[in-house]
Amino acid sequence: MSVLVIDGLTKTFRGFTAVDDVSLRIDQGELRGLIGSNGAGKSTLLHLIYGKLEADQGTIRFDETDVSRLPAHLRARRGMGLVFQLTSVFDELTVEENLLLGALPKKPRARLPVDREEVERILHLVELDDVRHRHASQLSHGRQQWLEIGIVLLAKPKLLLLDEPTSGMTRAESRRTAELLKQLQASRATEAIIVVEHNIEFIRLVSDRVTVMHRGQVLADGTIDEVQANHEVQASFLGRLH
Amino acid sequence: MALVALPIISDDRFLIDRFGRYFLFAIFALSVDLIWGYGGMFTFGHAVFFGGGGYIVGMLTTRGGWFLPVPFWLALAAAVAAAALLALALSYFVFSGKGALRGVEFAVVTLAVAVIAERLANAGGSISGGQNGILMQSRLGVPGVISLHRGYGFYALTGLLLVATYFGLKWFLRTRSGLVLRGVRENEDRIDLLGYEVPLVKRRTFVLSGALAGLAGALFYVHEGIVSPGTVGVGASTLVLLWVVLGGRGTLLGPIIGAILLPHLTASLSGTLLDTWLVVVGVILVAVIVLFPAGIFGFLTRPRKA
Repeated sequence: MSVLVIDGLTKTFRGFTAVDDVSLRIDQGELRGLIGSNGAGKSTLLHLIYGKLEADQGTIRFDETDVSRLPAHLRARRGMGLVFQLTSVFDELTVEENLLLGALPKKPRARLPVDREEVERILHLVELDDVRHRHASQLSHGRQQWLEIGIVLLAKPKLLLLDEPTSGMTRAESRRTAELLKQLQASRATEAIIVVEHNIEFIRLVSDRVTVMHRGQVLADGTIDEVQANHEVQASFLGRLH
Repeated sequence: MALVALPIISDDRFLIDRFGRYFLFAIFALSVDLIWGYGGMFTFGHAVFFGGGGYIVGMLTTRGGWFLPVPFWLALAAAVAAAALLALALSYFVFSGKGALRGVEFAVVTLAVAVIAERLANAGGSISGGQNGILMQSRLGVPGVISLHRGYGFYALTGLLLVATYFGLKWFLRTRSGLVLRGVRENEDRIDLLGYEVPLVKRRTFVLSGALAGLAGALFYVHEGIVSPGTVGVGASTLVLLWVVLGGRGTLLGPIIGAILLPHLTASLSGTLLDTWLVVVGVILVAVIVLFPAGIFGFLTRPRKA
């Protein structure tokens, strides 16, 4: 079953077509890598998926519902979780408070209790138990990124979107992030994951399947080996993949 | 403790009365701190609610015709309700939809609202009293039973209100809504993308803040005996920001300290340094803000390195 179905998505900025008739299907249990050179349109596509931008044409069906015209916060409520490229945590709140904001019910009048055990489990999963009372601003960049993943996970997303999660991370932090994503996929913590990345080594570590974008269009789609063997991909930016 | 003991250790009724006024300033400062210090919404126009509270009470208790004048306590309730309604209307306008305002844009709109309010008050003729404002006829208290208009009674009334406001806000900030509000201050986009309804969070806080400022203002101007156009303008709106900055934004005790310290310093120095007091106050203010950017209370409670 598909978690996300994108059909003919197009976005133009003042005559420049950033995303051009893109169609994509993400299935349950999948961890999809989305790669491409700068300006290929992958970030714009991500913005269209979670609702920061509205498409000029095309549809986005998420969890069997058309969400193309929904604002971002309602898409989030339906189960889309985004981890930004530049870490986006609550600097002057403690790690624990940050995670609570992920766990609290989002509907205005919902009075559901917070699942404290789940908060503890995620705190442990992202390895932040030792700094739970520290302000988020006091953490290293890598740990802030894990904290953000923890916040988003506590909102129980069906689809986890990550925009260049290893940007600014050390090699060790990148490796740990890859392990974390594989762990999430294996444990079915979310139904599907999309990772937008420049770091091909990272994509090789985590992704089952890769979509390559070029000039706003889908250039190729398949395993990383299939994609690397693709002549069009080689012609456009093969050097970057080695 | 010193403030609780003040009426016991001092029989200076003028001083006690003055501190009662500061307590109402402190509630006003807390109302601003709630939206600015805890919600990240910088406002240049909050005196619209503080002075507006005074105007509503003044108009409802001194004007005649139709159902007017009404008893003071009813007018007070109406002033709080009117301030809350104005805040609700304004917040719908600025926080909703795709053109929702934040940061400097929001501050500019509040500034414009303060300018408009002052002009309206000036041009309001017999309704607002024009440039002369409204001379209050009500007195705080229950006629024939208890007077809370001056001295110890006024001190007790405003002191209790301040304590209730302080603990009420302390409780609110510990609730889920309080945590989400602080989240909005820290990172509005993140809160939005977690699925929270940011405009609703802001509206609720703005209405609560407006109502608090309206209550404090209504009591203050009845006590003062007059409300005039300057009380809803940019000047009064800026003064409260200084109290909050001086004491410590984003803390609850800071704005209380600022709202007592700065007016007390001003009142004390203006009596002794007749020509230069404004300069001295300005220098002290700049020095404190430069030396303690987090405010006095923010400095005292800052995390220290081990």
